[in-house]
Amino acid sequence: MDDLDTWRSSPSPQGSDLGRPADGSLADILERVLDKGIVIAGDIKIDLLDIELLTIRLRLFIASVDTARKAGIDWWETDPALSSSAARDDLREENRRLRAQLEELAPADDGPRRPERMKEKPH
Amino acid sequence: MATAPAPAHAVCVFAVRRGRGPDLPPDLSGHAGGGPLRLVPAGALWAVVQDVPADDYSEKALRERLSEPETLERCVRDHHAVVTAFAARGGAIPLPLATLYHSEERCRAALVADVPRFERTLERITGRNEWAVKVNLLAGRKPDPQTPQASQTPQESPARDEAPAPSGRAYLARLRERGQERDDRRQRALDAAELLDRAVLSIAGATVRRRPHGAEIVGRDRTQILNAAYLVPERSGPEFNALLDRLRAASEFEGCEVEVTGPWVPYSFVDAASLADTGDRPHRGVRDADNGVRDADNGVHNVDDGEHVGSRT
Repeated sequence: MDDLDTWRSSPSPQGSDLGRPADGSLADILERVLDKGIVIAGDIKIDLLDIELLTIRLRLFIASVDTARKAGIDWWETDPALSSSAARDDLREENRRLRAQLEELAPADDGPRRPERMKEKPH
Repeated sequence: MATAPAPAHAVCVFAVRRGRGPDLPPDLSGHAGGGPLRLVPAGALWAVVQDVPADDYSEKALRERLSEPETLERCVRDHHAVVTAFAARGGAIPLPLATLYHSEERCRAALVADVPRFERTLERITGRNEWAVKVNLLAGRKPDPQTPQASQTPQESPARDEAPAPSGRAYLARLRERGQERDDRRQRALDAAELLDRAVLSIAGATVRRRPHGAEIVGRDRTQILNAAYLVPERSGPEFNALLDRLRAASEFEGCEVEVTGPWVPYSFVDAASLADTGDRPHRGVRDADNGVRDADNGVHNVDDGEHVGSRT
């Protein structure tokens, strides 16, 4: 977690001059510097994509696609349509999680009542 | 100078712009361990370059070094500082981190060969800045809906006896209600962000949306709804910020925070420009799918540099 702390974003005030580096968070800078730029053929090749994937794997700065989809946020892919199927997945996941919790809670709360009775689907 | 390039150094190029322009700030040092930054001509363009130790910048060494978060951060920040200073007056095109050549001659030859593409990109970004806008949905009510009983357990309050333990059904209903509430808030935030996007595009010429940052960045108590960049004419900066202030205060954004950073060198738009103009660049794999690149001008790229900005209604 120490690593994550050093990479965490700190919201920054706006309005710096362009002469100074924009006072963005490290995540802001990383996603720009690593993601964009005109590709020209250098003599020494490095694959920025690898570097970026590495940072993603370390979960340092970008939400996973799955996480974002669960939150219904996928419009950077299919702008401007918002995916309703993502919302359904979210509900399904939540439903599953709630039922798992109920499995734990119900015996303590309701004694003999069987957990099956609460396995009704919200939809 | 006709001899083979010295193997001890590689030449790192950071960015190109039209004309030599002013000197760089003297305290700007570029990458650690490198020589002084210098400006070199490449056809009609000028680039900022630096000699760097070849041993540290071989393919293998770079891969290793950039895989260390601390080194990656330092390199990215150093790169960003040079690019930003170089772009301070007039447009500059940032080149990818660690664009390296065996010699200055090779560097210049490569840049010269690409001058037409650089020129087209400069057409597009000169006189414009990038601004980043993020919309975060703040977590709702404080009590955690997943553990409603947790807050009651610390003290054996009498209220606990009066209110019987909730039935499983009631419990489920309450959870469902809160889930619905959360979905509603999220949908409202998404709608608000769309509103913001449309409004901002009355000023901005183009936008790029990125994958929202995760909880590790924005914190567990918020969900990032929008992570966008906008290409905004320099002169419209105040108008842009005033618009965002108005939006931020609007009731639609209650429960949200709207973060604005900038102005940035238009990092996010040099790539889009080259794609739109040439159409022959190799795709960058998964990242093209991750980043929606949209053109607010519907393909009208040849806007005079900042001349008729915001004329669309």
